Amino acid sequence: MSNAVTINVYEIVGSELCVAASDGQKVYDQIQTALQMKKMVLLTFRNVTGLTSAFLNAAIGQLYSTFDEVTIRAGLRVRDMNPEDRALLKRVVDTAKEYFKDPDRFKKANREILGDEHGKKGSSD
Amino acid sequence: MKVALPRIEHDRSGFCHLTDFYAALRACDSELIEVDMSSCGWFDADMCSPLGAILYKLSRKLNEVRLTNIRPDVKKILCRNGFLLNYGEERLPDSYGTTIRYKRFDSKDDKDFTNYVERRLLGRAEIPRMSQGLARKFRESVFEIFSNAVIHSQTQYGIFCCGQYFPKRHRIVLCISDLGIGIKTNIRKTLDLDLPDDKAIEWATTDRNTTKRGTIPGGLGLKLLKEFIAMNKGSIQIVSEKGYWGFLEGHVRQAVFNHRFPGTVVTIDINTADTSSYKLSSEISEEDIF
Repeated sequence: MSNAVTINVYEIVGSELCVAASDGQKVYDQIQTALQMKKMVLLTFRNVTGLTSAFLNAAIGQLYSTFDEVTIRAGLRVRDMNPEDRALLKRVVDTAKEYFKDPDRFKKANREILGDEHGKKGSSD
Repeated sequence: MKVALPRIEHDRSGFCHLTDFYAALRACDSELIEVDMSSCGWFDADMCSPLGAILYKLSRKLNEVRLTNIRPDVKKILCRNGFLLNYGEERLPDSYGTTIRYKRFDSKDDKDFTNYVERRLLGRAEIPRMSQGLARKFRESVFEIFSNAVIHSQTQYGIFCCGQYFPKRHRIVLCISDLGIGIKTNIRKTLDLDLPDDKAIEWATTDRNTTKRGTIPGGLGLKLLKEFIAMNKGSIQIVSEKGYWGFLEGHVRQAVFNHRFPGTVVTIDINTADTSSYKLSSEISEEDIF
């Protein structure tokens, strides 16, 4: 059994435009399964011409909830991305790392940004 | 029930009029609603998006909506973009090629939405040839608004889109509305933060703030949009519940209306003559991402 697998984003989404988080979830499911099987994932974006942060958050950002950075760095490679999409993915990845390091950090930062007057608790229905 | 609709422009007062309009009608249930448009001397076509959302919501409560006394010039605009097809009128040809059709999408219709953007917005001969970088950023921004609306609003009623191209001003305006949970309510429910309605929108456009919880991170969509609009020297206006937040000519404008919009509206105004280079100053290697 080969230890490397190529996952084709275009084939999973069925479109050159990757917009919806639900499509990102399909990509995530494939990567997650492969990484759990200790496979090296080559994720190709060939023929993909448009991406959203919502798609990338679901497809790749979410991996940081399941795997540590070392595992992801060792097991996942992206290919065929244009420079702008790589820059967007980098922002998504950096945000995800920070988010999963301390999810409550966002909440604390929010309270700091807004100050005490708006940081008070509201109804939690 | 009879309610008058005044002049509606895509600015703070236009949105305020629509929130007042909804407040007058929101309690209607199984009624005949007559929207008297005799005093509506102008209607910015893209504002069909929030008006259509309001009327759609009223219709779901078995109200019958009739638009009456529409002035001829306004009627032409609303027939050209297909808005009045929902109220029994026929479509007029888009003789100037400046119309961006009114259309409602279900939340799962992202493929239809991308087709709409490609065919009705970017793929048309009348739309000026934007630089490759600008067209790409514009398309991505529109997709970010759509996916943001789907994820955060959890709307059951869909997403309402409409726009207009202004060739002399080199502008495209696109408006996207939803009828879901507003930004203020979402922040309150998710983070237990009770913010004024306009501050809640400001919060959502601030870097790294997110209401996302669970395994999928978030917090980039509206920030990417704001960055692009600043570079493009365009504008963005967001209305959510009672809050109004605008980023106009580099300045932020905020307000709290007396009445609420039943969801969120995002309007972007793009400068099509923008010659900025959207190329990155430095490239990130595929090996340096994770």
